[in-house]
Amino acid sequence: MDQFIEQIITGLSIGSILLLVALGLSIIYGSMGIINLAHGEFVMLGAYAAWVFHTYLGLGLLASLVPIFLVVAAFGWVIERFVLSLLNNRPLDTILATWGVGIMLQQAVRLMVGSELRYVQLPPALSGSMELFGLSVSSYRMFLFIVSLALFAATWLLMNRTTVGMKLRAIIQDRSVAASFGVNAKRVYALTFAYGAGLAGLAGALVSPLKSVSPDMGTGYVVDAFMVVVLGGVQSLAGTVASAFILGELSGGIAFLQNDTVAKAIVLLAIVVLIRFRPEGLFTARVRA
Amino acid sequence: MSLNGSTSNGLQRLTAQLAPLLIVCALVFALPVLLNNDFLLNKVARYLVLGILTISLGLSWGFGGILNLGQAMSFGLGSYAMAMALKLKTIPVHTGASGLPDFMVWNNVQALPWFWVPFRSLPFAIAAGMIVPALVAAALGWFMFRGRVTGVYVSIITLATMVVINLVIIDQQSYTGGFNGITDLAQLEIFGVAFDAYGRATYYLVAGCMMLSLLVAFAFTKSRAGLIVQAIRDHESRVRYFGYDVALYQIFVFALSAAIAGLAGMLYTVVMEFASPTFLGVQLSLSVVVWCAVGGRQSLVGSFLGAVLVAGMQGALSESAAFLETWTLVMGALFVLVVLFLPKGLAGLAQVVWRWIVQRRQAAGGVAQGVGQTEGST
Repeated sequence: MDQFIEQIITGLSIGSILLLVALGLSIIYGSMGIINLAHGEFVMLGAYAAWVFHTYLGLGLLASLVPIFLVVAAFGWVIERFVLSLLNNRPLDTILATWGVGIMLQQAVRLMVGSELRYVQLPPALSGSMELFGLSVSSYRMFLFIVSLALFAATWLLMNRTTVGMKLRAIIQDRSVAASFGVNAKRVYALTFAYGAGLAGLAGALVSPLKSVSPDMGTGYVVDAFMVVVLGGVQSLAGTVASAFILGELSGGIAFLQNDTVAKAIVLLAIVVLIRFRPEGLFTARVRA
Repeated sequence: MSLNGSTSNGLQRLTAQLAPLLIVCALVFALPVLLNNDFLLNKVARYLVLGILTISLGLSWGFGGILNLGQAMSFGLGSYAMAMALKLKTIPVHTGASGLPDFMVWNNVQALPWFWVPFRSLPFAIAAGMIVPALVAAALGWFMFRGRVTGVYVSIITLATMVVINLVIIDQQSYTGGFNGITDLAQLEIFGVAFDAYGRATYYLVAGCMMLSLLVAFAFTKSRAGLIVQAIRDHESRVRYFGYDVALYQIFVFALSAAIAGLAGMLYTVVMEFASPTFLGVQLSLSVVVWCAVGGRQSLVGSFLGAVLVAGMQGALSESAAFLETWTLVMGALFVLVVLFLPKGLAGLAQVVWRWIVQRRQAAGGVAQGVGQTEGST
């Protein structure tokens, strides 16, 4: 029984990291239709930002979260303005362009800080562990779980309860009609992309104490995040949450029964089959065309 | 003017399209005469093989509109087919003639697995190197295109499938050599000709296959099926309304492209003298997309040259680590610029320049004629 609960908790922990990484991607893909292959590099930038703030400015991880969000969001804004906004009518080409951008970011970091692994310290207040259902759980993982849900809530509110969110939803439904009502689509797109990038940066900063930081750390995340978004359904934030935890539990469970490789292969195959039969994802209600 | 009738016009256009292709082939065949260095020839042969792989992607992406992010899957399958056959030609140290490959002995495999047995025959292996990737692609294509999966989802499915096969190959170490791949191969020998990786014979083999692939791909794009495939790329539902079986054509071009990639994979094993899981890795697969985009996805010669130029440049700079790192950065920037401003790649640029020259010349000719006329009237 203990083992079962432990498995569930491991799954939730994997799931919360997946959610953190996938949230930004879900916003960008769902609202702009851009397959952002540079997403993993935004995660990596966030992790490096955490390392830089800590090493050179002596800031703790928690104190630097807001600046990290802003820095990576600024990167996202620039990339949207100068690269992606030129590709409005060529969605397939955004895959290529963002991949090129990803290579550049990765290589620039490698040239500037070197490719050796970097480590970010756990915040001292969260380095211990706590009791949960009679099991000891790392406080930091618990913290990640709560933060991922909080960020999801914030994003949901932003999308559904603010003017910017309303404008964005209007553009998603019909860009030209929204534009003729005075919505500045370019500006909203740039802000959306920046927000998504900022979220990815936060994700990178938050996972940096758990994993080592390296220029190519993003590659793994981007694939996982895509699977979450595809499984959850493109335009459904709640679906993203559900699928993040489903995938988390699944990978945790299969990895426990078999091994990591088999877990990964099975999850990928399941997603391939899912795309074929339900390309709109598991949790999307039919959207009006 | 010599433009009498549409047939000679069409023939002229065909010659004009075939000319760059034949010029490139001639240059490739002439190279060993100029370059008397076996080491460099081996390197060039490697780039030519990557060029064949990129032609195969150009066929499915540029002409079929199917962005296959897992093109290296077919390449890797071909490469393993050749490596398995060549591995069985070696004489194992531990088990003697026609015994088990060394890595199986290390992994305590008792007998040769059933799927290795037919690879004792080289003709079977060569056929399998193209037919297996084509069949896998046809099955995957049937799965995708019958369900009318399009665009981005095709890319995700192909990429994910390749990653799964890659994971399985790495995981099944006792049957596939795992992470190390299949190494220590015998030399390929056909009709008594031994293909040493550093020999002229191998270079000409690669060059011949390259020419064959270019011509087959070119013939396909000019055939009826090829034209329908291009029509599907431009407007899928319109072609469907005409009553064509869209999925069938997509499956065919997908499988043809996989067969050519499989051929490239087999040659790669001969040139590199091993097979490795990286041959069907994400890195290579995405690089192929870059080469194809830079060269010009809608031009077969363009995609080929894109691969040879970019991979060649990368190879030339890889001697120095600092250069290589900067090069990767430049490469990324170049790629973004090409995607943004040259959607048809360098081939598209060449076309624009060529048209401009022709127009200039025609304009100049017109002026000269006009001058002659005025002179005549005075």
